[in-house]
Amino acid sequence: MMIIATVIVVFVFYFITNGKNLNPNSIDALISQNAYVFILGTGMLLCILTGGNIDLSVGSVVCLAGGVGAIMMRMMKGIPGLAWPVAVIAMLAMGLLVGLWHGYWIAYVKVPPFIATLVGMLAFRGLANIIMKGEAVEVDNKAFLNIFGGGSDCYIPDFLKFLAPESSLNVTCFVTGIVLAAGYAVFTFFNRTRLIKKGYKVDSFVAVIIKTLLIVAVVIWFSYKLAGYRGIPTALIWIALILGIFAYITTKTTLGRNLYAVGGNEKATRLSGIDTRKVMFSAYTLMGVLSGFASIVNIARLQGSTPTYGVGYEMDAIAACFIGGASAYGGTGSIGGVIIGAALMGIINQGMSLASTPVNYQKVVKGIVLIVAVLFDVIMQMKRKGGKKKATSAAATEKGGANA
Amino acid sequence: MNGFSMKNVMKKNVMTIALFAVYVLFIILAAAIKGTNMLDPSVVTSLIEQNAYVFILGAGMLMCMLTGGNIDLSVGSFVCFAGAILGLFSVENKILNEWWGTWETQVIDGKEERVLVAAAQPLSVPVVLLIVVGVGLAYGALLGFLIAYVRIPPWIATLAGYLAFRGLGTQVLTTASTTNAISNFPKPLLAIFSGKLFETGWGVMNIPCLILGLVGSAAVIFINFKSRATKVRKGYQADPLWFVFLKSFLIVAVIMFLTIEFALDGGIPVVVVWILAVLIIYGIITEKTTIGRHFMTVGGNAEASRLSGINNKRIMFVAYLNMAILTIIASLVVTARTGAANSFAGQEFELDAIAACIVGGVSAYGGAGTIVGMVVGATLIGVINQGMSLVGVDQDWIKIVKGLVLLGAVVFDIMSKKGNKKQ
Repeated sequence: MMIIATVIVVFVFYFITNGKNLNPNSIDALISQNAYVFILGTGMLLCILTGGNIDLSVGSVVCLAGGVGAIMMRMMKGIPGLAWPVAVIAMLAMGLLVGLWHGYWIAYVKVPPFIATLVGMLAFRGLANIIMKGEAVEVDNKAFLNIFGGGSDCYIPDFLKFLAPESSLNVTCFVTGIVLAAGYAVFTFFNRTRLIKKGYKVDSFVAVIIKTLLIVAVVIWFSYKLAGYRGIPTALIWIALILGIFAYITTKTTLGRNLYAVGGNEKATRLSGIDTRKVMFSAYTLMGVLSGFASIVNIARLQGSTPTYGVGYEMDAIAACFIGGASAYGGTGSIGGVIIGAALMGIINQGMSLASTPVNYQKVVKGIVLIVAVLFDVIMQMKRKGGKKKATSAAATEKGGANA
Repeated sequence: MNGFSMKNVMKKNVMTIALFAVYVLFIILAAAIKGTNMLDPSVVTSLIEQNAYVFILGAGMLMCMLTGGNIDLSVGSFVCFAGAILGLFSVENKILNEWWGTWETQVIDGKEERVLVAAAQPLSVPVVLLIVVGVGLAYGALLGFLIAYVRIPPWIATLAGYLAFRGLGTQVLTTASTTNAISNFPKPLLAIFSGKLFETGWGVMNIPCLILGLVGSAAVIFINFKSRATKVRKGYQADPLWFVFLKSFLIVAVIMFLTIEFALDGGIPVVVVWILAVLIIYGIITEKTTIGRHFMTVGGNAEASRLSGINNKRIMFVAYLNMAILTIIASLVVTARTGAANSFAGQEFELDAIAACIVGGVSAYGGAGTIVGMVVGATLIGVINQGMSLVGVDQDWIKIVKGLVLLGAVVFDIMSKKGNKKQ
């Protein structure tokens, strides 16, 4: 459903901006500008799954961890800054510490999440300002910028150029896209035959083919566009990695399924022997680590850190989750949804900037999109519930009839 | 809980005692480190005036939180938006000229140009106030409808408001004026929400202020003793007589302290009248009326409250409608105090109001909390803010301390409840 909305939005802006929004460089910018929404949205999803809990502190944490990293890499009085891997580890550690702090208060002391993270929002912003002494800190470590998607060379080098030397496209990028698409198609069909063998119910063959074709087409089109610009941005690799890992965690691991269970019915989960406190604790710890990671991508893209970075990031991440169909009461939501939510918001933002809509209206539209997405979710749930009620009452009358 | 014990009283008023201790501490620190006198009438007055919005918004946030720890994140943005609307209609500006001004097409240097012949007349003060209150009612009703009847989680609905109204407010202000702010509000409008009642010069004892303070003190004494007399007559358990004396004495001391400080600084600030009106009305609503009690039952146990015939949805609706109305009052007070509507007005007001409630012992899960507690919480945070900046502590450290105070208050609340359960 939201996919259809995304496609419609893309087309609307295509006409408004005379196709500017589908230019290769726009698509490239879409990814690098919204990298943090994808990463933070992933973490936020974990928290929301546990029962509609949120983390208001992520913006401040991104600022704090980014500040620490930027300062560590800075050249000071001729002495070169620390090597970038050290800074990266420090930023992740910073995020981890914050996550543990929040996790402890929320899971074990039972401080309501929005208050615990509200405290974090205030305190970590203050701490970040103190550490940075209220000043901007520049990052000019070339290797760091290239690897984490900042500066002008943050693309995977075109090492497959020899395949088609005269082509103006970035060959590596295009080939990767085709390989991925093919891989996806093969995997889907293998999976389907496996499921059939095990006797699971599967979608009809035609539906699977249509769905696969669509996804393959999107992937190839996407890689073609990127190939027409400068190739694969390194930020995309990181986003894909994070999304892949967490898609796996949420769908295939015990921890992931426990997140859903806690959000669906906490009491039942606890009574069935799962340590719900540990689940909550993990959710906020992972959110912390991901905030740390978002700060890495953030300072790379902006080539530095200032005390005001990250303001409002929490709202973007939360909005991405809800637009992507996560339930505000917990228990439902997926990484795929986050991707669509983040992309949809990014597309709307970028489209409006390209159509030179004032920034203020962009905020208004963001708010309205958020409300509409949640409204949609709530109404769908009501319908589902209504349907169920009818079904059970019908079953009850049937039973009664049989008894009579 | 039989018999009167000093320990229980201390336990109940731990935040008030903390407030007193912190205040004394900062008075000493400010005097010792910077040589500033925190008891100076102008310092005390500014403590109240600067935090006026916290008291007003805190009362509304309290009602929302009572219904189950629900909050309103949009109040800060809505303060900005309401201020912008106020400015839009009460001061001459570009948007108003565009709408209602008289324009003529004139030929200047061979080019046709639209020229403003007569500027638009701003609306009169009562009409503007009606419009602003109407906007508040409309938003409150919409918000209440979405939250109570469509069942959108409160913080998402208000998050959308947080985004949208900051955007709208800023847009109105930037289009209306080149400085992104509207000032030059009409004097009568400002006088309703700021300034002093019966103003006298600095250092002169303001007589009307003193009289009001004395009347207030007398009223407090009367109510305290009357309530004890009623309790004794009806056979309820009542506090010992000496304790009622002590309580009355302390409250009167606070009232007279503020009265004298205000009197020396030119009179009662108009804002204080607004604060008192809001606090007294909401104090009575929460403590003495059925609807006030319903807020607590909904927050305490929504299902039980519904089954006992309370219309939960209506309570939620009223809570958010009410919040919007108080936000309008806060907006008027803040705009009048600064004399301008800014695009950054109201930033983080929601956090201040929530913090005041939480520090004041309002349960983050709903069902418990009092206006008096909220006032103590708001004042405590205000004192910490003012004290630390007077002592010369950096703004960033103040943020951290504020956060830790908030966390400490919640943890304390949770711990003390656990202790109670064990007993």
